[in-house]
Amino acid sequence: MELKAVLELINAKQFNQECPRCVREINYAFVCDLMSDALMLLKKMPSHIGAHGALVTGLVTNQALRTAEILDLETIIFVRGKTPSQSVIELADEIGITLIGTALTMYRTSGLLFMNNVKSYESVLEEN
Amino acid sequence: MESYSREFKIQKNDIGNAGTVASLTKRELKKRGLTRDFVKTVTIGIYEAEINVVIHSYGGNCVVKIDDDIVDVVFQDIGPGIECIDSALTPGFSTASHYAIENGFGAGMGLPNIQSVSDEMKLTSSKEGTRLHMKFNIDGDCYES
Repeated sequence: MELKAVLELINAKQFNQECPRCVREINYAFVCDLMSDALMLLKKMPSHIGAHGALVTGLVTNQALRTAEILDLETIIFVRGKTPSQSVIELADEIGITLIGTALTMYRTSGLLFMNNVKSYESVLEEN
Repeated sequence: MESYSREFKIQKNDIGNAGTVASLTKRELKKRGLTRDFVKTVTIGIYEAEINVVIHSYGGNCVVKIDDDIVDVVFQDIGPGIECIDSALTPGFSTASHYAIENGFGAGMGLPNIQSVSDEMKLTSSKEGTRLHMKFNIDGDCYES
């Protein structure tokens, strides 16, 4: 799904619009606030099928970015109206991660994405 | 390729910089032509260990060594040590503070995750400190074709 369509779907804004290395597409998403859960599960996602992944989280710190960086997730969607600090936005620019934010809850955000064919981690693995 | 060796200092509760060792090691591994999946495996182990030093210890250091056939990583902290290693290796067991949980960690998955991604892991601990030694073997399949 194109990033522009995602922004409209969940009424979100992009925090680092000028990021030249940022990807503008989301194919699948993983939702968590505890980063070890993402590290434990997404390590099984082979890179050749896991392109254009997004992390949906309420954690607006460097640790969400580092987790995404390590797992090759290209986008982070902050939920519940959380806004990242300037230093977090600068780190996202440096490592090439797209940061977007919505006031919607995690459940509603995930539901809307799922209904619009943004895949789950399980369905990406099952399809491949 | 030339051997790589780098030492990093890790400060207690310095959560803002946690992940720096993993990030810089990721860059080095990519530069050496290793596959994204291998790089991810190694950096997950390093990141989890780095977080453990930040949230559980009084501080420590890490030495990352990379050769053509192995990535060898040692984390050493200065205490207070792990009371029961068997419990710490049990998925879901956690002694993490609210501070750690507020920052997205402390789910009790760190050491089990390190154990599952590394080819060899040795963990020793006393009140004076904890030493974690991880090895990741590199074979021909780990390099981009």
